[in-house]
Amino acid sequence: MPTPLRSLQNGKPLHWALLAVPAAHIVYRYFSEDVLPDDLVGPSGEWAARLIVLALMLTPLSILLPRARAIGWLVRRRRAFGVAAFCYALLHLALYAAEMESVRNVLAELPLPGIWTGWAALLLMLPLALTSNDSSMRALKRGWKKLHRLAYPAALLVLVHWIVVHNALIEALITFAPLALLESWRLARLFGPGRSRISPA
Amino acid sequence: MKTHLSLLAAACGFAALAAAPASATGRMTCNAGPQSGWRTQAQLVERLTRQGWQVRRAKVDGGCYEVYGTTPQGDRVEAYFHPVTLRQLLVSRRGRVIFRARGH
Repeated sequence: MPTPLRSLQNGKPLHWALLAVPAAHIVYRYFSEDVLPDDLVGPSGEWAARLIVLALMLTPLSILLPRARAIGWLVRRRRAFGVAAFCYALLHLALYAAEMESVRNVLAELPLPGIWTGWAALLLMLPLALTSNDSSMRALKRGWKKLHRLAYPAALLVLVHWIVVHNALIEALITFAPLALLESWRLARLFGPGRSRISPA
Repeated sequence: MKTHLSLLAAACGFAALAAAPASATGRMTCNAGPQSGWRTQAQLVERLTRQGWQVRRAKVDGGCYEVYGTTPQGDRVEAYFHPVTLRQLLVSRRGRVIFRARGH
């Protein structure tokens, strides 16, 4: 029975509003505190990473807990997490551009391993964000899932980008550890001896 | 089921850690004694500016002075200086170390 609470919980505005909270905080800090764009590049990138990790964790989590309703709720909104990750990556890029102050400065850093890995991750995410809608899913049919597997190399590039650009092995690994753990379980289960079911992609 | 639960617990634990904002860099430490013996940040910034640097931000990190700015060569970098001698200890450009003082 549709109660007001249930329809609020299932409506799109709620989860988009939740996904926008960290962005609102970043924008608020930009305008109200004595901060440079430099100070907000890191936090915006961390949110992009967290959301891509969350989106990718949902497949192994739904295999692990097929009946959990919370996981089901999240899985139905997985495209939104992916699109939000891309939006945070764009915010991250905008703040980086503001820090660098000129296109020339941005281009000068492009060959650095810590920088091009970030650009590559963003470029891989672009077609995914553009096709994260019902009509693209219908048009691409089975190709949609194949295309969206690009999220895995994108996530790997995000991890390398974070580690290299920030010299921050531990923070980056902590963020990616839940996904790495779930994916290794999934691979062990696919190729290991006690295989029972064929898992979805 | 037991493996499932421990796997989930581990995943949740890491997720909770990941939700905390990353801080404290610790790429360099200076054992420079009490701050009363330090030269001021203003002195460092003044010296760097005279050398052609553009300083965006200076702060204390790991007991050293840490500066975000642009070198005279035009590279956006993060650099560490000893607070007593103002000696340059480490310069890193987007994670690539372009200068490291001997012994540091």
